Amino acid sequence: MVKVQTEPNATLLDVLREELRISSVKRGCEVGECGACTVLIDGKPVNSCLILAPKVEGRSILTVEGLTRNDELHPLQESFIEEFALQCGYCTPGVLLTAKALLDLKPSPTIEEIKEALSGNICRCGAYQEIINAILKTSRKLQGKSD
Amino acid sequence: MSFYAIGKRTARKDSVAKVTGWEKYASDIYLPNMLHARVLKSPFPHAIVKKIDTSRAEEMGAIVVTFKDVPDKLFCPRLVSTPDATYKDWKVLTDKPKFVGEPIAAVAAETEELAQIALESINVEYELLEPVFDALESMKEGKPRIHDKIMLNDKIIDIENNVACRLELQEGDLEEAFKRSDIIIEREFRTSRGYHNQLEPKVAVVNPEPDGGLTIWCTTQTIHNTRLLISEIFNIPVSKINVKKLALGGGFGSSIQTNIVVPIAVALALKARRPVRLAYTKEEDMHEHSSYQMIFRLKIGVTRDGKLTGGFMENIMDIGAHQIQAYPLLGTCAGWWVSLYKLQAIKYVGVAIYTNKIPSCAYRGYGNPQVTWAVETIMDELAEMLGMDPIEFRLKNYVGERDLFWGQGPTVKSIIKSCGVEEILKKGSELIGWKNRPKPGEQKGRFRRGIGMARGYHTSSAGAPIPSQVIDYSGAILKVNEDGTVDYITGLVDQGGGTLEAHAKIIAEELGLPLKNVNIVAADSQTTIYDVCTHASRGVYAGGGAALNVARQVKEKIFKLASTILNAYPHTLRIRPDEERGQAVIYVEGLPGKEITLGELATLARIKNLGTIAAVDSFRPPACPPHFTGYFVEVLVDTETGIVKPLKVVIGADVGTVINPDLAEGQLHGGFIMGWSRAILEDLKYNEEIGDIECRGFIIDYKMPTAADIPEEIKTFFVETYEPTGPFGAKGLGEGAQNPAIAAISNAIYNATGVRFYELPITPEKLLEKLKEKEGRKLAVEDAVKLT
Repeated sequence: MVKVQTEPNATLLDVLREELRISSVKRGCEVGECGACTVLIDGKPVNSCLILAPKVEGRSILTVEGLTRNDELHPLQESFIEEFALQCGYCTPGVLLTAKALLDLKPSPTIEEIKEALSGNICRCGAYQEIINAILKTSRKLQGKSD
Repeated sequence: MSFYAIGKRTARKDSVAKVTGWEKYASDIYLPNMLHARVLKSPFPHAIVKKIDTSRAEEMGAIVVTFKDVPDKLFCPRLVSTPDATYKDWKVLTDKPKFVGEPIAAVAAETEELAQIALESINVEYELLEPVFDALESMKEGKPRIHDKIMLNDKIIDIENNVACRLELQEGDLEEAFKRSDIIIEREFRTSRGYHNQLEPKVAVVNPEPDGGLTIWCTTQTIHNTRLLISEIFNIPVSKINVKKLALGGGFGSSIQTNIVVPIAVALALKARRPVRLAYTKEEDMHEHSSYQMIFRLKIGVTRDGKLTGGFMENIMDIGAHQIQAYPLLGTCAGWWVSLYKLQAIKYVGVAIYTNKIPSCAYRGYGNPQVTWAVETIMDELAEMLGMDPIEFRLKNYVGERDLFWGQGPTVKSIIKSCGVEEILKKGSELIGWKNRPKPGEQKGRFRRGIGMARGYHTSSAGAPIPSQVIDYSGAILKVNEDGTVDYITGLVDQGGGTLEAHAKIIAEELGLPLKNVNIVAADSQTTIYDVCTHASRGVYAGGGAALNVARQVKEKIFKLASTILNAYPHTLRIRPDEERGQAVIYVEGLPGKEITLGELATLARIKNLGTIAAVDSFRPPACPPHFTGYFVEVLVDTETGIVKPLKVVIGADVGTVINPDLAEGQLHGGFIMGWSRAILEDLKYNEEIGDIECRGFIIDYKMPTAADIPEEIKTFFVETYEPTGPFGAKGLGEGAQNPAIAAISNAIYNATGVRFYELPITPEKLLEKLKEKEGRKLAVEDAVKLT
């Protein structure tokens, strides 16, 4: 639980980065197109650049820091490492959160569903294939299926 | 050759930092007591600032700099060429803006918002000049002059007809070559203008130091050239400027040059005597750089038996309002052309033209994807005219082993010593089902499948046996720690592809170290030796060469030291990784017990005052070996909507020894999707009425591929070759990974529809238009309109 005093016109991205110094939330296009600033609000992926900070009062916000528990990586983070689902890494926190929201909603997504879920996250290095593989792998892991 | 570390599947060393959000990019640097900056940019494409009033901004307490406050000095932001080949036409801030978005003034204040308010209080009176947006128009007599005088090295030169620079080349007797040709084909090609859209917008954070120096954190592909340029512009001794190396949120060529935010932030920090942060928005970033737009006229002759004879190429490049080293690009375009297929005689005319557009800079491939698209289109056409199989025709003419390769224009050449072209084409054609591909243009019906191919390459570095007009060398420092690890210190920036991972493996391989024992440590321009830049697919080949060079020297020192401790001759010693002990072990072959771990050796060396085992050295790559790639693409064309989809893609590559198979595969995947985008989607169109890009900097209106655009099936393979001049036989990959993509896609569309494209991108609108022309049929849309 964090209390922040903010201007009414501050975006959630501004508050997370500039006030709380959570730099994992990346500043990309700031018009809701690239997905680099994706966070989960009550479990749903949202472009934090498009949300005014006062609108999220009392709601739960997840950034990629929240995926790790006691220094243990989340299965998604592990799969992203194992499947080389990142290059420059700038889109990675946002993509991971989008993937988490998807898997929470649909534990066994199809490739088409993954592609649709990822449609708001641009990876300019073009690691889409690897990202999809990592999400599929996590889905199997979380359901106790071996590779 | 069998390797212990090289070629193995291992997690990236930076991956934990990247998946946990710990990785620090320039945009993540915040300093105490820092000011925030904003830049006043010209809303007009061509104007003169008659008056500028900054008094209100200053009254607000903002730090303001205008063109009056920065050194009145022309410079070139990209320092990869030698000075004699460097054209300078930039100023930090200008009173004669030449494109919408050109910086005129800048302010710094306590917050970004205050800076913006101060910025908006600045009053500027402009005198508007007539702009010119088309390169062919711009070079005509009597058109508005964009630049009067610029500098070439330290000489002032006049600019006539907006020709920024030109390059002409001629070899052999072209007239004779055309005379003995049975077919001469001539085509004109027009490429699109692309925007890199590296996800991280340009940013600079500058801290003034008490000795008059500066510490700089910024988006860059070269920390050393950044400090050289800032030193040159502001006349600060180079040793007093320290540029920090950070993770980069994508580059693709857009940070080879020092981004304009850096000198602007420096000017503000020097005036404020406080740290300044200047972060461009995406909208501003989109007005900071774009790719070149090129118009090629290509004429090529061939004999009846399928031997190419000679060729003429005219390359008119629209470079926008400033040069970011357009001159070497004129050279590389010639080189990419003549190094694809053997031509006995050539003539090349390259002209770079100023227009009132956003300045163009290198964009993954440095002209190669565009040239390859043109040449490979023509190769396809010629094969069809000759009645030859396009692959057979290519194999008959390609530049391969023992041929001369132009790695970076006419001054950077070396002999090809490793070449997997034949194998790439053979295996690729099998995997795509080349023999069963449809006959071009024979299909009817709404959905049509087509298979196309193209081959290409890119250089690995701008190395050569002799000095050239391109600076290319790397440097490295390697030191052994008492825990048996080594610290690898390099100024080379990883753009994201994992270049430094490859270096770590090269060092591990040479020193028999468990990979985890190679530390890639933080670095900056003060604590590293010179590295030119991460460009020209040189990271693994040239940078890796530098890593191997110091590893070899460290190994020699290890053996020398161990020989006294183990009482054995240095040349009888061996080194191997001992994964159980997590150490490299130095041992004498055949004598069990005669061994010592690297950690023990380093510790003993310290206790006995024998010194630290370390090496530092520069490395000049002796050659510019091409890495080869081949693309085979199957597309599905919807002839009613004009939408093209990739069904199956096969990409083969010869990169010499593959150091990181997964990362290399990632380059091919990324190369395809970027190539697809350049072929089908992306175009930074200008709206001449507003003098600005049509999308105004909003990427909502600049479509880029997402996960939904990847092919249903993508297969990649690497053929085995060994590059004798590369570290453990390795070559580059980043650019060759993409270069033939556009051509293969365009050829596949032809195969499906029978329609050739000479203009990029191949949008649905253009495709429908061409189909309509060809088939004389009405479009579904027109029918629909009639029905309503």
